[in-house]
Amino acid sequence: MQNPKFESRNPKQVRISKSDLRCRFWSFGLPSDFGFRISGFVILAAFLIPLTVLAQPASIPPQQDPLMSLMLSQPKVDITTNVTAVASFDPPVVGPGEQTIYRVAFNALEETIDWPKKLNAPAELQMEAGAHGQIIPMLGPVQVPYTTFNTRVRASATGDFTISEFKVQAYGHEVTVPSTQLKVVSNPPAASPILHLAIEFAETNLFVGQPTRVRAILPGSAGVFSQGLPPVQFTGQGVLIDQAASSQMVTVTSHDGMNMPTYTFQTVLTPLEAGNLSVFAQCFTGNRFVGSLVITGPAMIPAPPPPFTLLESAPVSLTVRPLPKEGELPGFTGGIGAFKLEPPKLGTNELVVGEPVKLAVSVRGDANVARIVSPTPPRAREWQILDSTPAGGITQSTPTDTISTFQYTLVPLTDEVHETPAIPFSYFDPVRGAYVDLTIPSVPVTVHAGEIPADFSTLVKTNGAFADEDEPVLSGLAASPGWTGTLLPLQTSPWFPIVQLIPAGAFLGLWTWDRRRRYYEQHPDVLLRKRARRALHREWRALRRAARDKDAARFAGSALNAMRVACAPHYPAEPRALVGSDIVQVLGSNGHSDTVRRFFTVNDASRFAGKSSDTLGLLALQPELEKVLEQLESRL
Amino acid sequence: MKVALLLFGLWTLDFGLSALHAASPSELFSDGTTAFRAADYAGAIKAYRQSASLQPASGTLHDLGLAEWHRGHAGAAILSWEQSLWLEPFNAATRGNLRYARKVAQLEAPELTWYEVVSTWFPANWWAWIAGVSFWSAVAMVMLPGILRQPKAAWHQAVAALGLTVFLLSIPAHIGVHTRSRIGFVQQKDTPLRLTPTREAQSVTRLAAGEPARLERQRGNYLLVRTSRSQGWVERGQFALICRRQ
Repeated sequence: MQNPKFESRNPKQVRISKSDLRCRFWSFGLPSDFGFRISGFVILAAFLIPLTVLAQPASIPPQQDPLMSLMLSQPKVDITTNVTAVASFDPPVVGPGEQTIYRVAFNALEETIDWPKKLNAPAELQMEAGAHGQIIPMLGPVQVPYTTFNTRVRASATGDFTISEFKVQAYGHEVTVPSTQLKVVSNPPAASPILHLAIEFAETNLFVGQPTRVRAILPGSAGVFSQGLPPVQFTGQGVLIDQAASSQMVTVTSHDGMNMPTYTFQTVLTPLEAGNLSVFAQCFTGNRFVGSLVITGPAMIPAPPPPFTLLESAPVSLTVRPLPKEGELPGFTGGIGAFKLEPPKLGTNELVVGEPVKLAVSVRGDANVARIVSPTPPRAREWQILDSTPAGGITQSTPTDTISTFQYTLVPLTDEVHETPAIPFSYFDPVRGAYVDLTIPSVPVTVHAGEIPADFSTLVKTNGAFADEDEPVLSGLAASPGWTGTLLPLQTSPWFPIVQLIPAGAFLGLWTWDRRRRYYEQHPDVLLRKRARRALHREWRALRRAARDKDAARFAGSALNAMRVACAPHYPAEPRALVGSDIVQVLGSNGHSDTVRRFFTVNDASRFAGKSSDTLGLLALQPELEKVLEQLESRL
Repeated sequence: MKVALLLFGLWTLDFGLSALHAASPSELFSDGTTAFRAADYAGAIKAYRQSASLQPASGTLHDLGLAEWHRGHAGAAILSWEQSLWLEPFNAATRGNLRYARKVAQLEAPELTWYEVVSTWFPANWWAWIAGVSFWSAVAMVMLPGILRQPKAAWHQAVAALGLTVFLLSIPAHIGVHTRSRIGFVQQKDTPLRLTPTREAQSVTRLAAGEPARLERQRGNYLLVRTSRSQGWVERGQFALICRRQ
């Protein structure tokens, strides 16, 4: 039976079976295939290219981030275990005023615990925040975090005191800290020296930047390093701990007649701030160790099983003073201690201009010398000096002291120099409390001209440009209040213009006086008249007083004098030389000549005739006399 | 009358007692120095400030600047040192401190005109006396020989010419003193330079403590200042002039 549909096709068309189709598909595009078409190839390429591209990554193994690899290789930190808190007093029985540690330990990371700043405790207990820290020891296949918060507690009275349970947040969940009881009795048991962390300082009166040895001593324990725990930490504000200078050891010591291992951790502490600084030591400890052990190099010892106890020492107060600014010497680079300078060693004393030579200077002293910084070389026109001390310095330790070596590269820029420049250097001696000069001395050299290097001119130019620059530094205190004054400009002060008026007034007065003097010199008659007028007024007042006093003799004398002084400028003549006729002449025909004559007559009679005249009658002539004088004054 | 006498007596007694209790500027200076050496910089600042308010002195202001610097108050330190130089411009230590502070805090010094530079050659108040003495000396040398009836000698004329020259040369310095008295320094960190004298004003930029600026004018609680780069308003408490405390 034939398919009617098939029948409807073109008879030339051959039916293609499925197997043929598969064959054609695989042979598609081959030259022998007559079905080769461009469009088909493009379609095939469109399928194949993405497949090829997708297949390529599978052929190259992926590169893993090395940091990620390192992180993945680390053991897991256990943060899934339920967090529990353990609280205790250490020791649980104390006397009044004695210190005990309220210790709360969690098996959680410290950063995740929201520890309260203030704890609710009975009023008799004085609480002070103490040490806190965490360790993450390797326990089996995972690392387990342990965090401890210490609180220093002192009881003011005897009795049983309970810190009731409270809740804190850890990993975002509430964790209950159980209640803990402290017994305060009058006669507490004696404190055991075992596992009592103590701190010892070589010095407690220090200067800022002065390194000092500090030791933490833990009797009765092999110490933290024998248990694979972190070393002792020194906690305090404003101090720097040099971990590179630390060492630890376990020795057997005797305490209260008992021999026991004592762990000692020693390092160097440097105060960075002035004032009273409080420092205490803290460390975790686990089980005990018996015997003597010294480890000088790094060691890896597995951690003991929990519990871990966070111990802390009593805080020690350091009195830190700032370095005095007074007396600071050039070349001070912060070195504090007791140092000595070895003679400087020059590579060679025969130098050539432009060729470098090494200068090595060794400073000998205590362990602090390892931290000393090389002094900045001076800028000199004749030398190019470079500090070529390697980073970290060159330090040698001997059984007795430590030697630190500075290196400088010196390039002579002229053949006229005969010695290397001295390099200012000083340190601060804390024992003497003063700066000590330790200037690196000059070394005699012979410099030859030699062949000038190509970059020599640039070297000289650069050196010259920097030679005059001085580095600004903060000065010390002024010894005295210094110059006083006002911050307001004097010109704006209200009294300043007034002060300026004084010389102005003086000069103006002098000038006016001089002008008047010169005028009178040119016009003496004016001066005579003025003086006559002044004398007239004086006599006038006198005669009026005499008239009031009824003193006829004085009245007559003053009247005569008044008339004479008023007439004197007209002649000119001495007033005493004038007689009555002279006065009458000045008065003229319209004057009171009788009055004038009468006064002169009476006066002449009393003076020359020797008889007592009737001067009382003259008093009655005062009105006429007044008119005479007014007339005379008007003529002056 | 009796009441007036009683009041006068009480006032005199009070004045005498207060004078007994009040420490002198030199005592306060010593107290400040002691506190400074004990690293009590806050106490040192208090003592130095009291001493300077009673009697401004270059050494007191120098030490006040050091104490302020150690307390981290760069603006106050620079102001104190500038005031110290105002009183004693020859003090190289104070000048070095200013250079040091500006280098550490990356601040610029005030840009001075030539006549302002001239005015820094001597203490600001010296110029007033120099001008006064030179002018009146010239006047005296011109006038006095004539008044005193003495022939004018050559030295009279020389002194008069010298006095007049010094007076004329001091005039630019006077102008410099006047314009320098308008220079002040920002006292607080990140002081906003406002576009308008209002609290809600837009901030043009922020000024570092110790940055110099010139006072243009005042309005209420705000001062219009001009820095080397911009101009704007700052709050009165955030800016202090060399010449007087705001």
